[in-house]
Amino acid sequence: MNKPEAVYRHSAVTRLTHWLFFIAFLALISSGLQIFNAAPYLDASDKSSPSHRVLSIASPQDGTGAVWLFGRVFSTTGWLGWADDGAGGKTARAFPGWITIPAYQDLAAGRRWHFFFAWIMIACGLVYVVWGTAGRSLRELILRPADVPKIWRMQLYYLRLRKDPPPHGAYNPLQKLAYTLVIFIFTPLIVLTGFALSPGVDAWAPWLPAIFGGRQFARLWHFAFMLALIGFFLIHITLVALTGVFNNLRSMITGRYRLGAHDGTGI
Amino acid sequence: MKRRLFLATSISAALAGCSAIGTKLNDNRAFHSVLESAEELNERVIGARGMARLYAARDISQNFPIDSLDTPSDNEYASLRGSGFRSYRLPVVGAVALPSSFSLAQLCAMPLQTQITRHDCVEGWSAVAQWSGVRVADVLAIVQPRSDARFVVFHSFDSDSNGMPYYESLSLAQATHPQTLLVLRQNGAPVHVDRGAPVRLTVPLQLGYKSAKWIRRIEVVPSFGRLYGGKGGYWEDQGYEWFAGI
Repeated sequence: MNKPEAVYRHSAVTRLTHWLFFIAFLALISSGLQIFNAAPYLDASDKSSPSHRVLSIASPQDGTGAVWLFGRVFSTTGWLGWADDGAGGKTARAFPGWITIPAYQDLAAGRRWHFFFAWIMIACGLVYVVWGTAGRSLRELILRPADVPKIWRMQLYYLRLRKDPPPHGAYNPLQKLAYTLVIFIFTPLIVLTGFALSPGVDAWAPWLPAIFGGRQFARLWHFAFMLALIGFFLIHITLVALTGVFNNLRSMITGRYRLGAHDGTGI
Repeated sequence: MKRRLFLATSISAALAGCSAIGTKLNDNRAFHSVLESAEELNERVIGARGMARLYAARDISQNFPIDSLDTPSDNEYASLRGSGFRSYRLPVVGAVALPSSFSLAQLCAMPLQTQITRHDCVEGWSAVAQWSGVRVADVLAIVQPRSDARFVVFHSFDSDSNGMPYYESLSLAQATHPQTLLVLRQNGAPVHVDRGAPVRLTVPLQLGYKSAKWIRRIEVVPSFGRLYGGKGGYWEDQGYEWFAGI
């Protein structure tokens, strides 16, 4: 048997920014949920407005937790609304302590974490995009008009409703769609909606909260883009696992990827 | 199915691990001071430029949340309140050429500015109100800060349940921003005792905790390091950023 051929797939800059971005991503989610807990509701409006409330997490009475989503109520006792207080007990609290940084309720600390890692995320994103554009490694990742008709065919292939994938380059059309959304839509928009929450930024860029429908609406979008990024992350790690977890991890750590059955089809 | 269960379990475990490690690191002083370094970048990028959006009367929030410590239990405050604040005087002291003291009538005789702006709380909510008052810049122009003056400290009558007094500070640039007001009237009526009567601050370019209420004294200082916790404000001493522009 021939030893499978190994290729150098990811540059040092790609690998470094990938893992730093990942750490920042986890820290931003955990500290963001900590911050959310201080005002556990989201309004589709500029100023806070209960009549524009889209989501609310609360404890209607001691011992119970509930989520209101578009006017519908879901009982979430033990998970959301009435949840882990970060010290072994349960308390009235939107997101539980085991998912927040720090585990106990501390808005000031959550904000410190959030801003520090927000700058890390922004720096990683800028370095990655500038490097990728200069070195042309981003080229093969960006979705082009010609890829659009192939997206559905690729999805059918993944669903095993088509025998062969449509012809594609190093990355298939679905991968390109996912990466293009994350790199050029979700991440820039989660950063912009974050800045829109700043009263200082709003004073010199009043158009920023305006394009998102106002400050509270920007807070709602900020949360929604977090959900979108989490959705990407879940699909990403599922496909990393399904297409050879060790080979994929090695390629993102040492840069070397062993070509095989999955080359070019895993996200 | 096994694979899915494995995935769900490992993600939950990873998040819980993340929270546990994060909490440990958070309680580490050296690590926490690294996190705090982001504040300087926030201040450099955001600054105190531009003007807060002005709203229309119809935008005023019907229910402006009260998010404060209790109405001051201070004896001096209680007696001032009992006399309808007739004997209230606002001293402006410290690193200034002409230390002065202003009665409410004197403040009301100064040019009053009325603005409808959005108040953004650090917790995440926003409310719109109409604020009428005197520009801090106008008051400082009277007392004339000395050349070593850098910060303006607003001391409050209020204190927390441990007796720790409430205070906040602004840089000279933030204090002299044309929308930074010593508020005398909110939504057309004198400021309510629950909302900072007789004189409170509004700083629309920063989060609400900077807008000190129940102001007892204004002090211009070269540095706030020797005041209380040394971080420049009651909330800053609790770990919140001194630069509250985000």
